[in-house]
Amino acid sequence: MADIRLVNVSKHFGQVRVIENVSMTIESGEFMVFLGPSGCGKSTLLRMIAGLEDIDGGEIHIGDRRVDQLPPSDRQIAMVFQNYALYPHMSVRENMSFGLQNIRMPKDEIARRVAAAAKTLELEHLIDRKPGQLSGGQRQRVAIGRAIVRDPKAFLFDEPLSNLDAGLRVRTRIEFAQLHQRMKTTMIFVTHDQIEAMTLADRIVVMNNRKIEQIGTPMEIYNRPASRFVAAFVGSPSMNFLPVQKISDRDGKVLVKLPDNSEIQTGIAAARLPGDGNVTFGIRPESVKVSATGAISGKADVVERLGERTLAYVRLADNSVVIAEDEGQSRLNVGDQVRLDIDGAAAHLFDAKDVAYSAA
Amino acid sequence: MSSVATTPAAGEIAGLSPRKRKVIKALDVFGLIATVITVLGAIFWAFPLYWAVVTTLKVENDIVQPGIQLWPQRFTLDAYTHVLFNTKIGTWYINSLVTAASVTVGVVLISSLAGYAISQLNFPGRRILWWIILASFMIPIPALIVNHFVLISQFKLFNSWLGVILPQLVYGPVTVIIYKQFFDSVPRELREAAKLDNANEFQMFFRLYLPMNWGITTALAIITFIGAWNQFLWPFLSVTNEQMMNVTVGITQVTDAFGVKYARDLGSAILAGLPVAIVYLIFQRRVTEAIMLSAGIKG
Repeated sequence: MADIRLVNVSKHFGQVRVIENVSMTIESGEFMVFLGPSGCGKSTLLRMIAGLEDIDGGEIHIGDRRVDQLPPSDRQIAMVFQNYALYPHMSVRENMSFGLQNIRMPKDEIARRVAAAAKTLELEHLIDRKPGQLSGGQRQRVAIGRAIVRDPKAFLFDEPLSNLDAGLRVRTRIEFAQLHQRMKTTMIFVTHDQIEAMTLADRIVVMNNRKIEQIGTPMEIYNRPASRFVAAFVGSPSMNFLPVQKISDRDGKVLVKLPDNSEIQTGIAAARLPGDGNVTFGIRPESVKVSATGAISGKADVVERLGERTLAYVRLADNSVVIAEDEGQSRLNVGDQVRLDIDGAAAHLFDAKDVAYSAA
Repeated sequence: MSSVATTPAAGEIAGLSPRKRKVIKALDVFGLIATVITVLGAIFWAFPLYWAVVTTLKVENDIVQPGIQLWPQRFTLDAYTHVLFNTKIGTWYINSLVTAASVTVGVVLISSLAGYAISQLNFPGRRILWWIILASFMIPIPALIVNHFVLISQFKLFNSWLGVILPQLVYGPVTVIIYKQFFDSVPRELREAAKLDNANEFQMFFRLYLPMNWGITTALAIITFIGAWNQFLWPFLSVTNEQMMNVTVGITQVTDAFGVKYARDLGSAILAGLPVAIVYLIFQRRVTEAIMLSAGIKG
């Protein structure tokens, strides 16, 4: 178990910069998730930590050792690949033993470790099968087993759930959480799926366009996004963004006037906002309720019944669309006129540079 | 076209049982034509073989009679017993086996290592080396014979197994090309996983890349073995001592020593080709399976 420190790490492929001056510390035993859309550089960052990509600037430390000039095998980390990368001609046992044989570990110790990992991952009955004879979920477990037997200082997972079907993905996600609780080893997990990130992570690194947008606990990221990108990327359905006609100061907090002239009192301190008043209003769908007494009115364009709640896509007078929530047994129909009640205390504002402001 | 063929047939088969009618209806005219052409082609191709085998079973006197005898009037195994017991064919077999097996092991080992290096390693001159190998593919082997002759003469390796084997090791650019392409298609993640698993290049080659492409190795080994066994020109030039001859060269001695006796000539030729035919018949299915297995790994 060790902490991982990145100091001003950069990487470019030819003229294209893929990672720019990234710094972060992943604490010992922490489950860190790199979250971001395709091409944001999260997998490259993971591969740089693993040693599969060279870095062009900065330093990487694992524990008390600087490792950025060391080959992958000397970094004492284990990695699980997106497509598992199991050796197709070797049995499950051989797949797990291969790395240990290469460092000339005694045979009885290899056998002991493989047996222990197989037991932990419930692979004992599959131990002599080849990867081609296993299901996706079983292959996934073998790949994890291959990582566990090495007893690494940190585990790196590169989108390990993306090849599984929806049901298995949820089950395996829970297994990952249990595995981390049991092993208490430093883990880095790369995903583009915000639900995986929210459910698994101790902390999340949200990345976009080669840079870190925000590092924080799942609830910090959700409740206090640092930028408009983070606010839009995390949460499903996505946050509503509305143009703002005018802002004013009421009792030190920002009062927002929307294009339809409705006013919303936020919990955001007016003094923190930039002076130009050029802001966008953001509110998550669960903070916009369909209510007979609501201040804003519009027409329901689409109604999605999800069982425990109903989502209504409401078109406002200025033609912008807001996603609002109603109860599961809602009688709302498409075309109905609805009134919306917005919880201003949960609102966010974003300035012209997309920096976010949330209630303290 | 098919309607023209089936309409009169339907009229003719009116009195037949429904099952027979179905069978006849199912006959595809194009299929029939294709089958006839294929069978004729097969007969055309196989007839010389048949003729050779039948001739070896005839009495020499009957062979030289005018006219065509498709079946021996008098059967005899004299040609075979003579070749087996009065020539050095046993020694020639051993020479062929040793040289062909050595060439096979050498070509497969060198080509697979070269293919691996070009496919997976980064070293200065890699691209130039690849071009040279591709270019050498364009040079016909007989064009190198004089070079080989001079070299082997300078090394004083005439009339030795090594002298027969060494020049044949460069006959493998196509094997290098095939290996490179197969190694190229091994997913990058497997190599990365092996790197994390502390594997050095030799472990990667011998424990991952070679076993994962075992199918293509088997196929290439069989093809190389058959090629080396059937090699005539170089073994003929590099060996003059009857004791060191390969079977392909040795059988020419049967003619020289005993005059033209067709049954013996053909008998020795058939005995020379027999092991290769057997090897191919035994491994034919394995070659097909092996190639399919390799394709499966890449799927």
